[in-house]
Amino acid sequence: MTPTHRTAHRTADPVMAIGQGFTLVAVVICLAPLPLLLVVATTANWPLGFWADGITLNWMRDGWEAVRPYALFSLRLAAMVLAIDLAIGLPAAWLIARHDFIGRQALVALINLPLAIPGIAIALALILAYPLARASGLLLLLGQVVYTLPFLVATLAPALAQPALIEREAVARTLGASAVQRLLYVTFPTIRSALLAALILVFTLSMGEFNVSFFLFTPLNKTLPVELYSAYITNRVEVAAAITAIFLLFVVPAAIAIERLGGSKIGQA
Amino acid sequence: MLRVMLTASLAVPVLVLFALALLIPLIILLRQSLLDGSNSSLTLENYAAVIRSLAYRRALLNSVLIAFASTLLALILCFPVAVYIERSNSRYRDALAVALTIPLSLPGIVIGFFVILFFGLTGVVPQLFLLLTGERQLNFAYTFGGMLLGYLYFQIPRVVLVLRGSVAALSQDVIDVSRTLGATPLRVYLDVLLPALLPAMISAASVSLATAFGAFGTAATLSRGFRVLPLEIAASFTESFQPERAASLSIALALLTVALLIGLGQFAERALKPPDAARGGARI
Repeated sequence: MTPTHRTAHRTADPVMAIGQGFTLVAVVICLAPLPLLLVVATTANWPLGFWADGITLNWMRDGWEAVRPYALFSLRLAAMVLAIDLAIGLPAAWLIARHDFIGRQALVALINLPLAIPGIAIALALILAYPLARASGLLLLLGQVVYTLPFLVATLAPALAQPALIEREAVARTLGASAVQRLLYVTFPTIRSALLAALILVFTLSMGEFNVSFFLFTPLNKTLPVELYSAYITNRVEVAAAITAIFLLFVVPAAIAIERLGGSKIGQA
Repeated sequence: MLRVMLTASLAVPVLVLFALALLIPLIILLRQSLLDGSNSSLTLENYAAVIRSLAYRRALLNSVLIAFASTLLALILCFPVAVYIERSNSRYRDALAVALTIPLSLPGIVIGFFVILFFGLTGVVPQLFLLLTGERQLNFAYTFGGMLLGYLYFQIPRVVLVLRGSVAALSQDVIDVSRTLGATPLRVYLDVLLPALLPAMISAASVSLATAFGAFGTAATLSRGFRVLPLEIAASFTESFQPERAASLSIALALLTVALLIGLGQFAERALKPPDAARGGARI
């Protein structure tokens, strides 16, 4: 979002007053579940009401014990997805940002294709194509890489395409800077916040991914959201709330950081 | 020449990966959807069976219904929100903007669980009713209403983000002039802002509809009877193990989503185009 000039906001302006009212409604909808989640997660006996039978941290402790292996697995998976995304997406983003060639539009369309295809269809296609690779967890990794890569490229390509950056690189070059020097001292500092936003973005998308993972997981390769889902089906509501609260500790701070860095993401639900 | 080849080689990793992990699997998915039960000959029978099935027609109709209803609600709610977030100079503006992006980081299952916490059988709203009136009310989490609320929850940030870009490009004069000429606030929204933001509204609608069609987690958590297509795909694969059926349903859903995105994209292009539409489109 580009910064824009704003004229002085008059509280008397009814157009803005309507906007403010709608904004408050939307913000309440977005945030209200978070405090409620914490209340349920710390209530000893929720079906009896708010903090019935006292406040407890037992559910949080039990919940953490139950999901720790899956949380660690999700963290490891996210780190691998991130590494592969960078290795593949960075060159692609550079190419799209800096070069005009036949098939450029086709390449952009291909990279964005996973955004248009429901995650569940991507997962099913992977299982049918490589049934034997599922047990190793390779499909889970591939599915998440395909699903997250468009976001990495869409965040990095505009940053790499900035005319001011290209100009500075050209200046550095005429001043005798080598390719490595230009990359380290000109390009990297300029795209640093976009790069950071892209990394956190891929990380949170991977941590929260469910639609693809639900079909590709195995008992040995089970992600945190898949375990969350089984908690919703089988566990008591307090435990489910506690596990959800733990999960949010991983993703919400990251989401706030992305917004502060100027990157925004639109993923599948 | 060497330089050109070096540059072209930058595309090789992504092309290899997407060929192996996306294109070939999708072709195999398509082929599977065209196989008959004995895996010997190609047929359209799976698609015919989907169309003949009352349950699948119902699921398709339900998917369309909830996608359009949630999108419409999200557009109405978020249109003034985007105007406020971009135009206001309130000091809470940034905090509000961050709050509105929180749902983006949540998987659909968590959103479904939120609806259960509020409107499930032991949800906070029915419990309050029980306390006040002695009777549980509004425990609609597992009905269409609950699912609609869940879908609206994940649409809000998506619609706001798409609309904000276009509001930022609008001139404040447009609002000021119409206000000076005596337009009521409602007229300003409907006759001035809505036409100016129409292309963005269409983009927002297509993002929102595509998300709703593919949404699986929220439906899986909340659905008790209101079946949508992604649930039928999952059931036909994991419960009744009919990969051909699951494949043809997946292809149908993917085609529906892509056709909708392309159709609305062209519609938006024909509508008035703001100068930065091309850049903003890349991130969707």
